[in-house]
Amino acid sequence: MKKILISDPTLRDGNHAVKQQLTLEQVAAYAASANAAGVPIVEVGHGNGLGASSLQVGMSLLEDGAMLKAARENLTTSKLGIFLIPGFATINKDLRPALDLGVDVVRVASHCTEADTTQRHIGFARECGKEVYGVLMMSHMAQADILLQECRKMESYGAEGVILMDSAGASLPFEVSEKVKSLVDHLNIAVGYHAHNNLGLAVANSIAAAQAGAVILDGTACGFGAGAGNTPLEILVAVLAKYGYNTGIDLYKMLDAADVARAKLVERTPVISSASLVSGLAGVFSAFSTPVERVAREYNVDPRDILFELGRRKAVAGQEDKIVEIADELARKKSRGTPE
Amino acid sequence: MTQPVSKLKVAILGSGNIGTDLLLKTLRSAYLDCTLFIGRNFNSPGIAKASGMGIRISDRSIDAIINDPSGCDLVFDCTSAADAKRHWPILQQLGKIVVDLTPAKIGKMCIPAVNLHDCLGSQNLNMITCGGQASIPLTHQIGIIHPNAQYMEIVSSIASRSAGPATRLNIDEYVETTEGAIQSFSGCRKAKAILILNPATPCIDMQTTIFAKIDNPDMEKLTVAVNDAVAKVQKYVPGYHLILPPTREGGRVVIMVKVQGRGDYLPAFAGNLDIINCAAIAAAEAFAQSPRKMKQHR
Amino acid sequence: MKNSAHQIIEQDCEQVLTGSVEQLGGMRGETLLITGGTGFVGTWITELIAHLNDHYQFGTRVKLLSSQESNSRFMAPHLGVRKDVEFIRQDVRTIADLPVDVTLLIHAAASPDTRLHASDPLRTIRVITQGTDAALAAAARLPRLKRTMNVSSALIYGAQSWEVNAMSETYSGGLLDCSSMLSSYAEAKRVGETLVAAYRNEHRLPIVNIRPFAFIGPYQRLDRPWAINNFMRDGLLGGPIRILGDGETVRSYMYASDMAFWFLRILLDGVAGRSFNVGSPVGIRLKDLAEQIGGCFPVPIPVECRGLIDGKGKRSKMIPDVGVAETLLGLSIKVDLETAIQRTLLWNQKQSGKNE
Repeated sequence: MKKILISDPTLRDGNHAVKQQLTLEQVAAYAASANAAGVPIVEVGHGNGLGASSLQVGMSLLEDGAMLKAARENLTTSKLGIFLIPGFATINKDLRPALDLGVDVVRVASHCTEADTTQRHIGFARECGKEVYGVLMMSHMAQADILLQECRKMESYGAEGVILMDSAGASLPFEVSEKVKSLVDHLNIAVGYHAHNNLGLAVANSIAAAQAGAVILDGTACGFGAGAGNTPLEILVAVLAKYGYNTGIDLYKMLDAADVARAKLVERTPVISSASLVSGLAGVFSAFSTPVERVAREYNVDPRDILFELGRRKAVAGQEDKIVEIADELARKKSRGTPE
Repeated sequence: MTQPVSKLKVAILGSGNIGTDLLLKTLRSAYLDCTLFIGRNFNSPGIAKASGMGIRISDRSIDAIINDPSGCDLVFDCTSAADAKRHWPILQQLGKIVVDLTPAKIGKMCIPAVNLHDCLGSQNLNMITCGGQASIPLTHQIGIIHPNAQYMEIVSSIASRSAGPATRLNIDEYVETTEGAIQSFSGCRKAKAILILNPATPCIDMQTTIFAKIDNPDMEKLTVAVNDAVAKVQKYVPGYHLILPPTREGGRVVIMVKVQGRGDYLPAFAGNLDIINCAAIAAAEAFAQSPRKMKQHR
Repeated sequence: MKNSAHQIIEQDCEQVLTGSVEQLGGMRGETLLITGGTGFVGTWITELIAHLNDHYQFGTRVKLLSSQESNSRFMAPHLGVRKDVEFIRQDVRTIADLPVDVTLLIHAAASPDTRLHASDPLRTIRVITQGTDAALAAAARLPRLKRTMNVSSALIYGAQSWEVNAMSETYSGGLLDCSSMLSSYAEAKRVGETLVAAYRNEHRLPIVNIRPFAFIGPYQRLDRPWAINNFMRDGLLGGPIRILGDGETVRSYMYASDMAFWFLRILLDGVAGRSFNVGSPVGIRLKDLAEQIGGCFPVPIPVECRGLIDGKGKRSKMIPDVGVAETLLGLSIKVDLETAIQRTLLWNQKQSGKNE
């Protein structure tokens, strides 16, 4: 039976859905239930990873260290994972202290064309003996051959796998297959896929990735995550089983973990709002939806217009400041009465 | 009877993009004369360009200055942090003023719009980072008006094409150096710097957003101070523009500036390289016009 | 002091020279210059020559040419204070002149670090192509030059076909995509070999070409992204030893002392214009290698296979056929892999023990 390694960023990507306000109790509760379900890797942190608590992408309620400690205490068989983006997190301030707290798995991410920013961080985590993966964000924005080059960079830095992240939920199954297959054919390391649900295709894209040779898949409980949400993990686990893949996760206990998430974490199960759908179509980072809606209200402009404009400008994760700039421009156009 | 104005003799150590761009800026300066353009490798495009313009070149690195100590009075060091650290004791001995564009963090931090005058007493000036040069003139003002500001954050976006292998390998250093400088110049104890590489084409100009957490910000005062500071910076960085004046937005104050480079050597979108070079030139020109400096080298 | 770790090097040198000192007799009284001399290869050759000078009165002089950057990573400062060793700080790309007393030249300047190839392909290409051109141009004007050697790379062959047991110097079955930036190092090395042939033709340069495969030994940085380095480092850190893939990939490793001996022997007596593979012809599966390394520790360190794709792992081979070196020059492998691993681990342990 083919094996799939599941990595669960409910307590990381999911943090976006509560504007980085996950509490110690929530972290502890979910970590314990994921551990009980046999989820191999539980990823914890601010939505944008280690060291990302900021005015740019949201101040988190908890400090990185506190979240990691709360999770660590509740993970016995599951591994504790972190995610970080160089440019937000540094080795000295963020990564080293996190590793000292007993993190097992490190994912170092960059925009899909900027893998060489991850060299030092991947190297450091590897030298500390940790399981290290590279992540390419907004992977819909690059062709297969570019993705391959960037993955090879991460491979040379010591990553033992690379995960394509569909941050905008913009991909279609055939695109996923093509890209994953190209990587699987040419890399010596594992390939993974992290889908988002803006076009309602997260599970389908994940299955397409698995069938193209990906061996790592991400999913969150109830799809808990920014905007339209992530691949719902309980659904993914069940569907993978139907396709004949072995995740090592107990289905009933995973459903229980989803219940815990529903009760304690999720204010509402992710819904594909029109803003989320539009951001998927525009190819814009999912987590933009929340600040876009807020700024749109403040400036009295249509959030969908902001999103399409962000997509047109190819805004990447971390550039939330552009939202204000665009809203400002749209508001001025509106007040000038130009129907554009 | 007036003496002819003699320009300050400057050497540029490091023939990469930064050094070559600096060379072109010195040629435009009324106060600086580039007497030596130094690299390690005659094949570098910068050396080829300098040579083609008739500038004296060398591939002997620091030895070029050691072997001709009277050839220059001020040195722009655009090599690397490790090399700058090696160069400094030698240049210090030789009585040269060093304007350091590397992350070596040896000398006095210099932001021309803020502390140029104070820097003239120092023999080594540390030009911090591009993000620092773009934001500190403003964060400094915020710190003056609101000494109780709780937190400052600057986010710089630069075009991917303007970030070479050295930048990409040293992002951590960039972040930590910038944060330290923000704290130092604003008095605010908590600071964060974020760097984002944007691959969009056409390439974006450098853009820096400044966030500050302030209880009851005085928006009028801030606006006046920011406008003043921007005008000061524009004197030596013509491509520096305020694109979002101080705005209160969701419990924080936001300011945005954009830097378009002059396009002297690299294309205009590389505003990040341009601003640190412009600052370095401004610092050197201040030395050139300072009688104290002249006395030092008589 | 370096004594304890350095003893390993001394023993290795003595062992590889036993019964073979006169095969390197041509080094007596000569002046050898190595470009990229402060790297792994240059350091080991210098150790071997130092040993020949100290114990066999060879009177050989060594000049190590390297850029400032590389110089600062030199791992054997005790060699630097020797009277028979000199450093020349020079970027290989712009060598204008080489010292006129040089009689032997090994051009080894390049970086085999795949991280650099990925992050800075242009620099990778330039150092190899411009560097080889400049070094050979300068060599061609040396009045007393007797022999030159170009250090190419096994990567010039492209990927070894699984059906082929070992690649001989005439192997042409490998594929390289010259339009991919990922081929920067391999393609640049191929151009390097063409430059060698052109210099031999136009300038009658007495030059031999070698294609090194994989090596292991003291002085090699364990953070280099190669399997055996990773396995050793994982082991020294307490494990587990992690293999990416199913471990069916086959590689071979030559110990550093054999490497240094082979390099010098080929330099002295290799037929000009020929290429020689240098490496161990004895292949080993990475899985077995990892287990062997794990077994070298007092408490055996477990091995983990990562990234298993239902057994369908990506496997590759890279094994040299060294028949030419063996037949023409009587070269042989004196240090088996087991010993190579043990010595390397021991040296690394002594090195880090000293640094605490």
